[in-house]
Amino acid sequence: MTDIRLFGYSDPLAAKTGEPVDFMISAEGTTEAQIDIVRLVHGDYNPSGPGFIEELVETDLPKTLSVERQYTQNGAFARVKDAEHKLGHVDSFTVHAFICPSSPGGERQTIMGCWSVNTSQGYALGINPEGKLEFWIGDGDKVDQVTSDAPLVPKVWLLVAASFNHETHEVRLRQISVQNSWNSGIGPVTPLDNNSHVVESMRCSPLCVESDFLLAGAHESNLRRGPFVSMLYNGKMDRPGIVARVLSADEMADIAQGTPPDDPLAYWDTTEGYTDTGIGDRIFDTGPNGLHADGVNRPIRAMTGWNWMGRDDSFRLNPSQYGGIAFHDDALIDCDWSPSISWVPDVALKSGVYALRVSAGDKTDRIPVIVRPQTPQAKIAVQMSTFTYLAYANEHLSFEAQIAQAIVAHTPVISEDDLEYNKLQEFGLSTYDHHSDGAGVCYSSWKRPIINIRPGYRMAGMTFPWALPADLSLLWWLEHAGYDYDLITDHDVHAEGSDALTPYKTVLNVTHPEYYSAHMLDATEQYLMAGGRMMYIGGNGYYWVTSTVPDDPACIEVRKLDVGSRAWQAEPGEGYLASTGERSGLWRSRGRAPQKLVGLGFTAEGMDRSEPFERMPDSFHKRVAWIFDGIGDEELIGEFGLALGGAAGVELDRYDLALGTPPHTLMLAASCGHTDNYPLVSEEISYAFPGRGGTQDPQVRGDMIFFNTANNGAVFAAGSIAWSQALPCHGGENNVATVMRNLLNAFIKDGPLPGSSYTGMEKAWR
Amino acid sequence: MTDNSYYKVGRRPWELKGQPDGLVERKRSRVPYTKRHWLKWRDNHNAKTLQRERVLADKKPLWWTLGLGLLLVVTPFLPNSMISVASVFCIYAAINILWTLIVGTAGIFSLATLAVVGMSGYIAAAANVYLGVPWPFMLIIGPLVGFMAGAILAAPSTRLDGLYYALLTMGVAEICRVFVVQLRALTANNGAITQVDSFIPEDWFLQRPGLLLGFGGAFCLLLGALLVWRLVNSERLGLLLRAAKGSREDESFCEAVGIDFRRARLQVFVISSAALGFVGAFYAMYYRSISPSIFSLDQMLLLFAMMVIGGLGRAEGAVIGAAVVTIIDKGMIELGPVRIIIVAAIMLLVTIFAREGLTGAREQFRDFRKRKAGERRARRTEKGGEAMPEEAVDVLDKQELYYRRFNKRLRERLKKMITPELIAEHKDDPLGHHSDALSRVLNYFRRAEMADKYVIMRLKDGEERYRIMAVSGIRGMPPRVVDDKQYDALNDAYHAVFLLRVNDLLES
Repeated sequence: MTDIRLFGYSDPLAAKTGEPVDFMISAEGTTEAQIDIVRLVHGDYNPSGPGFIEELVETDLPKTLSVERQYTQNGAFARVKDAEHKLGHVDSFTVHAFICPSSPGGERQTIMGCWSVNTSQGYALGINPEGKLEFWIGDGDKVDQVTSDAPLVPKVWLLVAASFNHETHEVRLRQISVQNSWNSGIGPVTPLDNNSHVVESMRCSPLCVESDFLLAGAHESNLRRGPFVSMLYNGKMDRPGIVARVLSADEMADIAQGTPPDDPLAYWDTTEGYTDTGIGDRIFDTGPNGLHADGVNRPIRAMTGWNWMGRDDSFRLNPSQYGGIAFHDDALIDCDWSPSISWVPDVALKSGVYALRVSAGDKTDRIPVIVRPQTPQAKIAVQMSTFTYLAYANEHLSFEAQIAQAIVAHTPVISEDDLEYNKLQEFGLSTYDHHSDGAGVCYSSWKRPIINIRPGYRMAGMTFPWALPADLSLLWWLEHAGYDYDLITDHDVHAEGSDALTPYKTVLNVTHPEYYSAHMLDATEQYLMAGGRMMYIGGNGYYWVTSTVPDDPACIEVRKLDVGSRAWQAEPGEGYLASTGERSGLWRSRGRAPQKLVGLGFTAEGMDRSEPFERMPDSFHKRVAWIFDGIGDEELIGEFGLALGGAAGVELDRYDLALGTPPHTLMLAASCGHTDNYPLVSEEISYAFPGRGGTQDPQVRGDMIFFNTANNGAVFAAGSIAWSQALPCHGGENNVATVMRNLLNAFIKDGPLPGSSYTGMEKAWR
Repeated sequence: MTDNSYYKVGRRPWELKGQPDGLVERKRSRVPYTKRHWLKWRDNHNAKTLQRERVLADKKPLWWTLGLGLLLVVTPFLPNSMISVASVFCIYAAINILWTLIVGTAGIFSLATLAVVGMSGYIAAAANVYLGVPWPFMLIIGPLVGFMAGAILAAPSTRLDGLYYALLTMGVAEICRVFVVQLRALTANNGAITQVDSFIPEDWFLQRPGLLLGFGGAFCLLLGALLVWRLVNSERLGLLLRAAKGSREDESFCEAVGIDFRRARLQVFVISSAALGFVGAFYAMYYRSISPSIFSLDQMLLLFAMMVIGGLGRAEGAVIGAAVVTIIDKGMIELGPVRIIIVAAIMLLVTIFAREGLTGAREQFRDFRKRKAGERRARRTEKGGEAMPEEAVDVLDKQELYYRRFNKRLRERLKKMITPELIAEHKDDPLGHHSDALSRVLNYFRRAEMADKYVIMRLKDGEERYRIMAVSGIRGMPPRVVDDKQYDALNDAYHAVFLLRVNDLLES
């Protein structure tokens, strides 16, 4: 029997009841698969909890489905639809572009052209396997090429151009250095000569057959797969163009000075179409034919260009110096598979996390989809952190990040699925990974199979479930404890603002709401100001400035910079989101420290063991003592948990007045006794000195706090990822659950909260 | 003690390098009708200065021009006997080159090379002497005969294995010899055909002008053979055969990927045979006669010696081999039979000491030097220890050198911390609060580079069965299985990894 492989994703990742969800499935080794819909009740095999639970859902979907292999186009490039062959069928011409190649050499790369790999037809300017600039042409019978003299230096800007004279068959290939003190990876003190000017006569003329002109790729096709784009380019490109004649040396010099050619056939002004609120995926041709290029797999915009002078650190300040577009051969935004089946969740269906269970042979895959009710049903909303799910989607940390084992403090435990995904390298990267040329990944989307949102999946580095599978522990407990809840998502809050939150008496966050947009912060803030009640029961929340891409909610963007626990560091000047025009990085660097919203903010992380919370004196104040009804004065809260055996662990948040924790906040409890594998986070370190680990630094702890907001609103926060994963222990009846019950029972009631009348000055005798 | 001292490294460049200016336009001309450039100039950035320099990446054309130029210039000033040695060298070099095409490029182990030369020479000479065909036409008859002989000989080459085919072709040569010797018409001359007309006028024959003219002709013949070599070996046919070289054993595989391997081999064989036919006709004209000795085994073995001494499969090997053997065999004729012993001795020495004949000596010398350097470095540095200056020149990121020094010293300190108590502490709780010593040891392990870093594999979701693997550190390359042990508890697996790492540390 051949090995069966099943992969799939849902679009959208989260849907309302009554609205269709498409499931895309790719199968190898079988043409038929059994399908059904299950509700994911609990997603952790850990024997200390209820185990893996799913519930079959009656639907009218067929039991079997015919499936086929679907292919994925990896790599970013841009496509120019040119049905009239205006760019392909030219006699004499010059192609030119500023480029900053990031990994010349190895595999052949295409910068621009209309080259057909299978038939060797057309022309292209690119980089040969030796790492040198090359211009190649072919007519299907003969192929010819000119190679530049000077080797390309990685991460150094230069102008490249090739012109073809169709009468003499003469090609001029030029390389003109435009390196300055700011724009390149190395400075002008290096005596490199990147210039080159070679003239050679070809023995054939180009014959373009494909109508699409490509930036950063070439046409290829395969009997089974059909047409696709290969020979992808790694690096940045700025203002490419074509002129329908051979340009003189003076004209080339003008282009190298930044003057566009007078009579372009096409000139893609990569700085065109910039707005104060972001840049789209279209690269505009300002030439006479308007042959715009459309990005595929999201070439990265808002990058510094060939003429960047370091004074302006955002494309908004000086678009003309921000013409850079970064292409990566392993970028993936959208698998673009055709839907295998569509499901419309019944309007009466309970809100929850569902999955299409696909099985064939001994393989079973569960493709999750979060279902939100058509109209709000419950008093409690759980805000599923879909931004975070995407940010971590298909992370490669255990396989690629040298420092990962030191961060998580133990040896990763991988699974069969990890091996499969890692071997295939087909389903893209997370914002914790690097592209093949070393650049950080700033986009992630749900339009691809994502291994780590599968129920039961344990993140290899930590050996326990992370994000969505971990959040199921909270949902299991809410159901176990008899609370009705509606699921909403980050995407809903981002799109609808506080309207998504106000119908609910209380909103619960999940384990790790790390990625947040400005819309979401505003919505949560407005909800609290209007009397909403938030339970922030996660760790390292409200951390990264993130946004969805305006025309594609499936895709999020984040740029990691300056401080914070960052898997990569944006290059200078490239810290602003192309999607919104705002500065990315940490929210605390932009005046929105999470403490200002929910009282707590990130302080330490470690993955060796979790600890319990210990009550602090404030917890005995009558304003909040009701939260601890049923809990002993010195009882440790959460000496158990599915995430490393405690309720306080993994990632921890701290109370800090200096960072904006509301001054009336009560510190109810704090965790203690963390190991030195919980070091204080980098954004807290101004001077480095020894002893910033859990055994020596008092700032390494997780806090539990409470404060009131106007109109009977309140915030309860327990700053620990492990909190929710402690709930299912001991059959769901434990002291973490007691705290949650006391809170929920109060939070879902109208009117003032218990204890809210104790606002007088304490005239104490003791 | 030299063990503690450092050798100074660094060398002045001996190679002449151009200093190109990238702003200057360079027109690159090509060999007519090809995509090839005359010389393979390549620019790079000098790793020491980052300055651009232009080097001749392929220096062979230079050596060819020098060698052949020298031969052409010097020969007219040599005594008569040496001129004929030069001519014979040219002829043998030409035969050898064509034979190399058959054996090296086409991979057909034919020993009938001289038989083809002889057959063509005989038939061309007979046509001239007995049928009165004028001598220029001999140069057409020769290749035609060669072509036909090649076509006939090619037929069994696809069916027979190397050794059998070699024997067969040897047989063909012997049949030719016996046939010619027993031919009644030629008995008077002991089987030879004499009085063959030639491009050398009869009255110049064996005179200095005649010898010079003969040398000129032979030199052109050598150039012609080189041209055939170039066209066959370095163009489409040769490239096809080279593409399949790694899998010569499996011709069906080559066919599967679209290379008609047999056809290409046969084409090379037939082309080379036709060229050998031309040499045969030239041979008859050069000597104005042709005798059965051309079919003899000792001639064949002489050719064989040339090939072995020069190195198989390369044009320069064929030429150098021919030069060595002709100078000894024909140039030192006064030594008598000793010279055969000398040739044999050289042959023996070359086969013992050189991997690929004299032409491979340079590559071999480099490998030898590299091996010696490796051995010396290994002697001077401990495993994973500090880099010596001679090693440092190969490391681009100089920070690596510091890491090596640092980690070596760190390991020395950590090794002292490994005690049974420390191991027991880890076994007790792999993820707990650890002593300072254990924390330091663990942190060193966890920070190790990605290549061959240990991970644990959960054999089935939801089950407690584990095994230890090591990741590759290369995207897309799966981890390797370290051993076949299985563990039923995660803590046991953690501890097993710890023990493996302790072992690695103590062994370093």
